[in-house]
Amino acid sequence: MKNSKFISYSILLLIILSLLVVSDLCIGSVNLFSLERGSELFDTILYTIRLPKVITCLLSGSALALCGLLMQSLFRNPLAGPYVLGVSSGASLFVAIATMVLTSINISGLYFFGKSMITLFSISGAFLVTFIILMISKKNKSNVTILLVGIMLSQILGALQGVIEFMSSSNSLKTFVLWGMGSVSTTTLSDLGFIFPVYLMAVIGSFLIVKPLNAILLNDNYATNLGINISTLRIKVIIITAILVGVITAFCGPIAFVGISVPIASRLLFKTSHHLHQIVFCLLLGACVVVFADVICQLVSSQFMLPINTVTTLIGSPVVMYLLFKSKLNMV
Amino acid sequence: MIDIQNLEIGYKIKRKTNSVFTGLNAKFEVGALVGLIGDNGIGKSTLLKTLTGYLAPLNGTILIQTKNINSFSFQDLATLISIVTTEKIGGFNLTVYDVVALGRTPYLSLFGKLTVNDETIIENSLTSLSISHLKDKLMDELSDGQRQKVMIAKSLAQQTSIIILDEPTAFLDYTSKHKLFEDLKNLCLNEKKLIIVSSHDIDLMQKYITNSLHLKENNYFELG
Repeated sequence: MKNSKFISYSILLLIILSLLVVSDLCIGSVNLFSLERGSELFDTILYTIRLPKVITCLLSGSALALCGLLMQSLFRNPLAGPYVLGVSSGASLFVAIATMVLTSINISGLYFFGKSMITLFSISGAFLVTFIILMISKKNKSNVTILLVGIMLSQILGALQGVIEFMSSSNSLKTFVLWGMGSVSTTTLSDLGFIFPVYLMAVIGSFLIVKPLNAILLNDNYATNLGINISTLRIKVIIITAILVGVITAFCGPIAFVGISVPIASRLLFKTSHHLHQIVFCLLLGACVVVFADVICQLVSSQFMLPINTVTTLIGSPVVMYLLFKSKLNMV
Repeated sequence: MIDIQNLEIGYKIKRKTNSVFTGLNAKFEVGALVGLIGDNGIGKSTLLKTLTGYLAPLNGTILIQTKNINSFSFQDLATLISIVTTEKIGGFNLTVYDVVALGRTPYLSLFGKLTVNDETIIENSLTSLSISHLKDKLMDELSDGQRQKVMIAKSLAQQTSIIILDEPTAFLDYTSKHKLFEDLKNLCLNEKKLIIVSSHDIDLMQKYITNSLHLKENNYFELG
């Protein structure tokens, strides 16, 4: 892809993203324009409710799309993604343990940890699953096997989660089920102060592995011959995705669809294999998708919040299917 | 250039070693076009994978420019030896140009940006296999033979003094096979490369190769 093309696509995506962000800030249960600017209510709604929510959308969308891209390239399979490989399920299960099991046995002091506890558990869950997949991928070179194992793993984790749900009290169950639907509206500015540095490090980290990611698109044998240390690359990708998926899942719940479909859409739309470009496109497109989904949520009903998961999937999947049918099938 | 001493090749799975061939001794210099001959399953591909550093030798040593292959980093090895296999490459928007450009990977900076010099080398590699007209095509749109040429162009772009080709003639028609071997021969002579080719087209190879290594049953081998 030519540099000029890359820049113009990026600017186009940025413009779309800023329009979406502005509309997401304006739309909601309260009409901002009816309020006096600078009044306390105006400030509260804009700065403590809507702004953190938009930033959460931006961070979660771009992070999950990035994870999907990294995993799809590493496994050279467009079916890979944090959800399919069970990484999200791992995070979910551990959050289930944290919210339902640990609160029921009432360890003193646990209450004070609250969100950071959930984050910690979520990251460890994501790490555990990615680590298992990594171990298997070392033993078995076939990408199909790895995907199948990922699917099996997420089934096991889901079943375990079911057991925990079955045994826990209705109160903690409700908290967990709501979390599981995915929400971008519960994060506060101070939460973002924690998410953002982690996010930034992971994004910078993924820009540093652009070259090996490009080479691994050939296959492991060729990539090794091009001077790429594949096991190091695998570990780097695993660490980046586990941290990002863990953190995002902790704060927003398991957001489906974005991770697997945004990289596919991005490849179909922008027709480039170079990861320096693809990473930028996926970050922007992923952010667009989640902010857009939130806008739709607000438009459909501003009184109660639609779970963002349903919207991303309902709108996004048909678009990806359309793109797939329209293009040469082997491009993905 | 390459000095193989008492080499044992094979796979290590867990703690079990599966030896494929043992006691191999051979020495090849630049300018040689070596034909690697042998029946299916005798260990040709294993030997080639060991020579590229993808598999570790079970025993014995491989010296490249008098230095043990184990002492090279992946990065250094990438500028010395390039490979061409018959594995299918494609998907992910990979175009012919992209694949050939990946041959420059060991020389590129952190973000994989091509310099003008890199671009010239890529263009030359495309031209020398007369596939310039295909450069914007997706890999998935190519025939097997064309794909094979792209991979060879990639290894030319890698600018290594040793090129290893595993059954490059497998998908080629009669004329293309001869053209390929003529090209390989010219590379050996003009650019002072050492090329090792495995193939079952023995009659074809005899016309072009300067040396041969014939692997036979019971760890018996013949150098020619």
